Amino acid sequence: MLDAARPRVGGHRVRAAAVRLRRFASVGGEVLRNPTTLAGVTIIVAMVGMALLAPVLTEPNVPDPYQMPRDWGALNEPPGTPDHLLGTTQHGGDVLYGIIWGSRTSLRLSLIVVSVTVAIGVIVGSLAGFLGGRVDEVLMRIVDVFLSIPELIFALAIAAVLGPSFGNIILALAAVFWVKYARIIRGQVIHVKQNDYVDAARVIGDSRLNIFVKDVLPNSITPVAVQATLDMGNVVLIGAALSFIGLAEAGLAEWGVLVSQGQAGISAGRWWASTFPGLMVFLWALAFNLVGDGLRDVLDPRTERR
Amino acid sequence: MTDPARTLGEEVGGLDAAADRRAPLASVQDLRIQFRTKAGRVHAVDGVSFDIRDGEALGLVGETGCGKTVTARSFLRLVPSPPGIYAGGRVQFRPRKRCEVCGGAGCGACGGAGRVPTACPRCRGTGCSECNLSGEETVDLLRVPERRLREIRGNRIAMIFQDPGKALNPALPVKQQIAEVLHVHRSEELLRRAGIDSDAGVLMPLLRRMAEQRSRRAERVLLGLPPGRRHSRRLGAAVAEWVAESLAETRIANPRKVMNSFPHELSGGMKQRVMIAQALACDPDLLIADEPTTALDVTIQARILELIRELQDRHRSSVLYISHDLALVNQVSDRVAVMYAGRIVESGPSQAVFRDPRHPYTRGLLAAIPTATDERGRLMAIEGTVPELVDPQPACRFHARCPYAAPACRTIDPPLRAHRDDRPVACFLYESAEEVGADRSSMPTWAGRR
Amino acid sequence: MKTVPARAARPIPVKNRNLVTVRNLRRYFPIREGALQRVVGHVRAVDGVSFDVRRGETVGVVGESGCGKTTLGRCINGLLPPTDGGVYFDLGDDEHARLDALTAMPSEARTREQAAELERLDRTHRVDRLRGEAWRSYRRNCQVVFQDAFSSLNPRQLVKDIVGRPLKVYREASGSELMERVVGLLESVGLGRQHLYRYPHQFSGGQRQRISIARALALDPDFIVLDEPTSALDVSVQAQILNLLNDLQRERGLTYLFISHDLGVVRHMSDRIVVMYVGEIVEAGTRDDVFNSPLHPYTEALLEASPELAHDTDRRAGALEGRVPDPARPPQGCRFHTRCPVVTPSCGFEVDDAVRMLEGRGAGLDHLRGVQRRSAFEADLSFDDEEFAGLMVRVLEGPETPAEMREAMIGLTRSGSTVAIRFRDIDRVRLEEIRPAHVTSCILHTGQGLDPGDRHMREKNGG
Repeated sequence: MLDAARPRVGGHRVRAAAVRLRRFASVGGEVLRNPTTLAGVTIIVAMVGMALLAPVLTEPNVPDPYQMPRDWGALNEPPGTPDHLLGTTQHGGDVLYGIIWGSRTSLRLSLIVVSVTVAIGVIVGSLAGFLGGRVDEVLMRIVDVFLSIPELIFALAIAAVLGPSFGNIILALAAVFWVKYARIIRGQVIHVKQNDYVDAARVIGDSRLNIFVKDVLPNSITPVAVQATLDMGNVVLIGAALSFIGLAEAGLAEWGVLVSQGQAGISAGRWWASTFPGLMVFLWALAFNLVGDGLRDVLDPRTERR
Repeated sequence: MTDPARTLGEEVGGLDAAADRRAPLASVQDLRIQFRTKAGRVHAVDGVSFDIRDGEALGLVGETGCGKTVTARSFLRLVPSPPGIYAGGRVQFRPRKRCEVCGGAGCGACGGAGRVPTACPRCRGTGCSECNLSGEETVDLLRVPERRLREIRGNRIAMIFQDPGKALNPALPVKQQIAEVLHVHRSEELLRRAGIDSDAGVLMPLLRRMAEQRSRRAERVLLGLPPGRRHSRRLGAAVAEWVAESLAETRIANPRKVMNSFPHELSGGMKQRVMIAQALACDPDLLIADEPTTALDVTIQARILELIRELQDRHRSSVLYISHDLALVNQVSDRVAVMYAGRIVESGPSQAVFRDPRHPYTRGLLAAIPTATDERGRLMAIEGTVPELVDPQPACRFHARCPYAAPACRTIDPPLRAHRDDRPVACFLYESAEEVGADRSSMPTWAGRR
Repeated sequence: MKTVPARAARPIPVKNRNLVTVRNLRRYFPIREGALQRVVGHVRAVDGVSFDVRRGETVGVVGESGCGKTTLGRCINGLLPPTDGGVYFDLGDDEHARLDALTAMPSEARTREQAAELERLDRTHRVDRLRGEAWRSYRRNCQVVFQDAFSSLNPRQLVKDIVGRPLKVYREASGSELMERVVGLLESVGLGRQHLYRYPHQFSGGQRQRISIARALALDPDFIVLDEPTSALDVSVQAQILNLLNDLQRERGLTYLFISHDLGVVRHMSDRIVVMYVGEIVEAGTRDDVFNSPLHPYTEALLEASPELAHDTDRRAGALEGRVPDPARPPQGCRFHTRCPVVTPSCGFEVDDAVRMLEGRGAGLDHLRGVQRRSAFEADLSFDDEEFAGLMVRVLEGPETPAEMREAMIGLTRSGSTVAIRFRDIDRVRLEEIRPAHVTSCILHTGQGLDPGDRHMREKNGG
């Protein structure tokens, strides 16, 4: 490597980026070597693809594509009917349309909830862990209060107070999920803070903010990434549960809503209206859990499965 | 210093012949252990052979990653597998029993060793293929069934680890941890010590199970009630007695108090004493000590070393010392084998190796220790780093760091061979071109220092 | 190394003789207990330590784990604020003399002017009081190399970022100039351009320690605290690093504080030695004095216990009994008296010693109900019944108890089931200069609190 001519400034940046990319790729490769993780990734790719291609796969409903289209001429059609491959609901909604646009709803839900909760959790947790003392005391007592209420019931209460709407489900889930991240990141920060490289940075005279951003945060974040992946699945699961008990607008193209509305027909033999969306919820949660576990094994081989 | 078994034999008067004829307690033959990694197979131990004789302390010395710990762990098949692979060789072990004539004190019958071989179960001592015609029971520790291995672990071969803090279970009091080896290996003797024999009648099977620590809850309840209570109490007292005895042997003050404490209540030195008590509770033939003092302070270290040496003399066990510190091993062992990158590069009586090292690596290792006469900043460092052991080519493992390396060193494996006075060394500096079958100009010379 | 070759590159202004001055340094860590986290005591990690580090020399600090040497290092490089006393950096020669004069007198005896003078010295030189430009200058001039090269390098940064970071923080260089400086630093520690784009985990222990050293050198400091820099390394690699450190010291005129538990290494590297035990200095002097004619029995025991120092002779007599005392409750008088092979009655025997002794004998201590302390030297021990109390008195008076302890006991009376025990009051031992520049706190040499006609003094000095 000595033969490499002295690169320009930009050259240094490019090389450093290349090294980092290679490292990232090698972690990715290792994750994919595990067959169950690979299966999870495949399912996720398929679902996300479906969500992205929704307007291509089906004609979007006007004016709001996230509302189920109503075909009053085809109520309770079984699967295999022309134009309604997976059948229709009791209101004449196409199940396939619900599944495809429901994947968009789920993706939206989980992305928003997870990114918001990770952001809040990381900020709160790292403030508590990094600053310690009083700040830590106060923040963690707040976290304890949130943790002491079962998450589903808490989300239910919030959604019930705010009224049934999809936006409120997002809000309710966000209120529940950030606590976990705050906990995780605080523990990590306290642990990482004790490393000599943090002291080394202090001896150099670097600012606290820099030390946090360069030394503490990057080394604390991996368990959060794992948890976030798992939660991508869990959010949809709980979100579906909330919709199922009627906290989302009726007629929304959402798996939980579909399951809820279709269940009435099960006793009458109309299994398809709730089974297919239910299967999607299951697959979604399963896929993200598989990938999350795979990530955990690679990123932190020491942690045992909980 | 010479082999103590031999010296002792001479003291008793020409009896060393008996001990000499005997096969060594353990012999490692061409041991190969590899680890599967992303980059390929790491040859962690690559053809290591040595003997451990009765009653001797053998030091296995080398730096990080030389394979000394892996070698030692293979005695108890403790190398994690996967990724570890036992790729070849044998670890033969010949279990001993206490000499019945002298009760372990050393006499004519046992050649002064205090221990006598057990007869080979297949040929009853006449010599067969299984025991290499020695007539002594010989166990290949790498191939023996797991059940038999468990009988040997902690009983005939015991191990002391580097970090006593990690080797002891933090959730159990010291007493239980030492008692466990007794329950597993010495249940019969526990019953005998408790004075329980057939008079216990129908309770005997239950008591036996209790001594083996295999009682179920119902049995324990039953033995807690009047007819059995007398016996179970006596058994409990016998266990406590034995544990206290083995702790007292390590010169722990107030053993009865210590045995009821938890590991975190003890200092590092105390924990190591508890480990030693546990290891020696069953009076093993071989004690493996893996860096037993590295985690301790120097003043404590000296005490622990003294203790191991003293207990070795009393129990007449053999000891395999693993250490990175040649100076320390010189103090505690009779013979020493120096390892580098998965191979033994030199072995011999420790004083001799220490005073007059032959292999350039051993020389470098000794010269690198700062002494009073070294001028500051002029230490004889061994330049470079230990080679990667992934699928190595035939070559001296040390050639890249050796000041004398010549072409032959880079292409041929130097064998471990004795040249003068019975001291094996794996280096071409001590061989002639004819022996090696190489061109004279490709051989290293002392003058060829780089 | 007596004279330091001048650095060619930098013009040298007038330099002060003493670079680091440690005065009465104390660092206590609170022990908290219970739900309310009440402070129930203090671990006295460093308990009144004073010494100087002169420019260009290496001072070695030795001691066993828990003796406070690492805490001392962390106070000196500003990572921990002291509880009391302080670390002064780069005092002028006059200022140094003034500081000694001022700190020698008790604080209430100082006049207002003297107090103001001390305050001015504190503000301009005491490490934990420095602010702004003075702090930045100290920060640049005092660097550190840690023991564990695995935890001292951020695993997510490339070598170029690790070594270049100090230069970036002080905006000394950027872009390709920064990179050239980093390459220069790497080359000065025996690494090179090819290592710029690697992560720490791709290096061996020795190489990682080299990276640490390169980072410490980046700002061209005067002073480096080396906290067990080679303890985690193999001997052959240790020799490489020690040679490197020495070369760098010569080239750059560095001053080192070398902390280690390894006496061989400290002897090799240091000009002067400080020996610590349970938070205190027990002996200090030049390397040759301390190693060739140690004064304190603890130093002797350390020397005898080191296999690499004792390899020629077979002396193993000096191995110590007992454990290192708890720094939360350090022994009275001389802190080494609990393990000292040449202890005298004037070394600070106290109630704890008596209790520990009884414990070690296992003599019915289960029947000890409670200990009512009036001071460290005086207490009532209450037992279950009179019989045990009587037994204890007999043990304490009998030959099982060391003669020195018996002699130090000036009162031992039993009334009912209570035993009142009293030892001589002993002050804390002080360091005294026994030979030029060679100090110790051992009372056999300082004579503190020792009767001139003391039997032990005669025996031990004669022997």
